[in-house]
Order: sequence, then C-alpha cells, then structure tokens
Amino acid sequence: MIVTEQLSKRYSGGNYALRELTITASRKVTSIIGRNGAGKTTLIRILSTQLLPSGGRATVEGFDVVSEAHEIRKRIVSIPQEAAPIGILTAFEQVKMYLVGRGYSFKEAGESANKALDQLELRESKNEPTDTLSGGMKRKMFVAMALAANADVVFLDEPTTGLDPLSRLEVWSAIRQIDSRVILTTHYMEEAEQLSDEVILIERGQSLEQGTPSELVSRFSGKVRVETAERCDGCIHVGNISIMYVDRTRADEYIDRGYTVRPATLEDIFISRGVEIES
Amino acid sequence: MNLKFTFLLAWYYGLRTVARGPSYIIASLSSPLTLLFIVFIISRGSLVKYAVVGGFIGLVASVALSSAGDAAFMRLQLRMQDLYVASQVNPSDYMLGLTLSYLMFSLPGIVLYSAIGYLEHIFSLDSTLALAGILALLVVSTSSISFIVSSSIKHVRNVWGIAAIMSVVMTVLPPTFYPYFYIPKIALYVLSVSPVTPAAVLTQGVFGLAPVLFQEIPIMIAETVVYFSLARYLTRWREN
Repeated sequence: MIVTEQLSKRYSGGNYALRELTITASRKVTSIIGRNGAGKTTLIRILSTQLLPSGGRATVEGFDVVSEAHEIRKRIVSIPQEAAPIGILTAFEQVKMYLVGRGYSFKEAGESANKALDQLELRESKNEPTDTLSGGMKRKMFVAMALAANADVVFLDEPTTGLDPLSRLEVWSAIRQIDSRVILTTHYMEEAEQLSDEVILIERGQSLEQGTPSELVSRFSGKVRVETAERCDGCIHVGNISIMYVDRTRADEYIDRGYTVRPATLEDIFISRGVEIES
Repeated sequence: MNLKFTFLLAWYYGLRTVARGPSYIIASLSSPLTLLFIVFIISRGSLVKYAVVGGFIGLVASVALSSAGDAAFMRLQLRMQDLYVASQVNPSDYMLGLTLSYLMFSLPGIVLYSAIGYLEHIFSLDSTLALAGILALLVVSTSSISFIVSSSIKHVRNVWGIAAIMSVVMTVLPPTFYPYFYIPKIALYVLSVSPVTPAAVLTQGVFGLAPVLFQEIPIMIAETVVYFSLARYLTRWREN
C-alpha cells in the first residue's frame, strides 16, 4: 500500500510541486493522472526514493521513504519518465545488468532477463543493439526489467508518452503482465481507464479526485459532452473550444444544431476539475 | 558493495561499447598521438620517451576527464542514474562501474603505447608494475573529478565544453609530455592540484627519465582518496 500524509515538495526556486498531498493507493493498478506540471513525476520520484520530500510523510508497503529508503529499494522497480536505453547495448544486456544490480547472480539474471524479454515478445530483437529498436520495443525493455525483477511495487512514470497507438497497445499489454502492484502516471485518460483499478487526479500538487474509473465517470451519469467552436455562457473554454455537459435526453437537439456530442469519459473529470482549480 | 554489478557495468558499458563502436578508439587515441607526434618533431626525437610515457598518463586521464559528458548524459538524458537510485545499487558501485568502463575505453590506446614503448625499450618489470598502479590511481581520481563536475550540470549541452576544457587543461599543462624539471618547483606544486601531475612526475621517475620525487607518492594517494570521497558525497544520487 502507498500512503502519503500532507506530503509536500518545494523546489529551491520556491515553487511547490506537491502541497500537503494526502492519498492512499491500495489497489493493484493505480493511475495518477494530471496535467503537465501537476506534480505526478515529483510524487513518483519521492515514492521511489529518488527525491527527498520537503514535508509530510510517505510510506511504500509500510516503509518510510526517508528513513527506510533502503528497505523500499529492495521492493520496488521505478522506470523514470523518458528513460532511454543505452543504444549500443542490447535489451538482454541491459535487463541482465539491472537484475545484477538488484542482487541477482549472473546466471539468475540471465535466465530471468531472457524469460521476461521472451514473454514480452522481444525474443527476436533482444540481442540487437537497442538503438535499432522501435520506441515501443524500447519501452517494453523497461517493462521487462519490472517483470523480471518480481518487485512488490512497480512505478511507471508516463510509460507510453510519445508512442504511436499500436506501440501504446503493445506497452499496455506488457504492463498487464506485471503481477506486482503498479503505480503509473499518465495524462492519457484512455490509458488510465484501460489499465487502472483506481485513479487519482492531482492538480497543482493536490489530490482532487480518487476512485475507480467507473466511479469517477459516473459523476457524469446521464450526461453527454457537447463541444462547439462558439463561445457560450456557462461553458468550459479550452482554447477555441467550448465544452458543456447536458442531459443525454437533449443530445439530439445539439446534434441537430451541428454541435459535437460524445459520451462523458474520464477525460471529462480531468477537464472539469482542471478548469475549476484554475478559476 | 555489489562488485558483480560494477564488473558487469564495466564489461558491457566499457568493453562491449568499444568493441561495437570503434570510433571511441580513434577518439581516445587522437589527442595523445598528436602530442606524441608534435613532441617527436619539435625535440627531433630526443624527448620521445617522455611523450610515450606521458601518453599512457594523458590517454587515461583525458578519457576519464572527458567522461564527465558521458556521466551527465546518462543522468540527464537516459535517466539511467534514476533507474539505479531506486534499486539496491549504491553510488560507489555505479561510479566504480563507470570508472572501469572508462579504463576499458583506454585499453586500445594502452596497447598501442605499450607497443611503442616496447620498441623504445623503456619497459622493465618494476616500471611496468609501477605504471599499472599509477594508472589505477589516476583513473579513479580523474573519474571522480568527472563525476563531481557532471553532477553539478543541469543541462547536458553545457557539459561537453567543460569536459573538453578540463581534459586539455588538466592533461596538457602538467608535465605529461615534457620533463617535469623544465618548470619551476612552485609551478609543479600548483599543477599538482591535477592528479595528472603527480602521476606524470612519478612515471618519469619510475622509467628513469628523471629523478624520482618520492613526495609525489603520498600526494597521488591522498588526491585519489580525497577526490573519490568528494565524488561519493558531492555526486547527486538521491536528490534534495
């Protein structure tokens, strides 16, 4: 279980990345969603003992991130945002090296690396230098590290950012094969809906919403999202687009007027709460 | 200590990288070989032994010092350091692994200089063993300086220039390719801030090219310990 209590992080410039954030993540896959700069990466870096907090407390599987970092490091794998492989080395070499760093013998590390890479369908390419692999394959190499390490908790910071839809599906499939508890950050709502048992929305370093994807979407129960390029009172304005949420019974009325109407999704929680905090 | 990890990092990131990217070999050899050529021409061959002996020192030091760029690239661009911070790898394992990798990068050059030294009849068993010890201390101290510098860099673009300057200033200014007694003693002590200086002075003494300055032995050892300790504590591992 991951618990934070009034967790804060203030950087040297005086900016707060996290402000007294209090959350509990106890499900198998938890997605932390939020806009760029919301504090997602800072949270993951503190939880995975890469960064010290400025205040408050956080525990991972019962261990304190400050005083018991060594215990946490035995139990986690954390794949940083935009992590990139050493291009001249193969996927097998890098997974094996990571496992040896975690205390595996050379033999165990080699066997586990092979097994994980084969499981993620990298059998054909695992002995090629990674600079010849596609973006999706490179990300899968990092997921293979998590899979092979058999850790209690896996942190994945924006694991599919920058990938094409097909590669993204491949990485999702790889993530689903991880048996450990997974905490992932994303700003792709579809990803959060597809992969998570629980979603936490953070904005400006604070938690705004928490629940299962269906619980969060049910806040818009009976409503549809209407989009138009016209300005309208009471709408949410995002760039040139105006968004409003209306009763499903009135959907046809807006379709006839040429508006775009679509069912509400997790993205609508993101949009509506994001705008609320901005205003 | 996780020596298995240190060894594997050096094996993969050092030896495999050199084997798969021969440009590393040419890059690491270009500067010392150019200096060897210049010294040979200017001294009409009389100082060539200094340049050969200094070549070992210059090669190892310049590879290790210019690796600041590499270490910063691994931290800032590849996020490799973050990956290992959140595991049981400790900063000493990581630093030693990379240090040994840089030593591997120097291996082709060491082989080439050994061949030239053999042709020049400069080797004896004692001098070879002493040289190995000096190079081991040198790679640790100069790599440590690289880690300290790379750790303080926020944008990877800035580090390439700094690493190049460091490499030139700290390996060419000290008496690496010329007899140490050509410069005043006070200058020698000032230049001793660079671990290349005691390494070069000792090497010239060991190979019988100049009197041995025994006071450089404790300086060399102390600098290695100090620079490694500084790197261990100043290198950002877990960030604040």
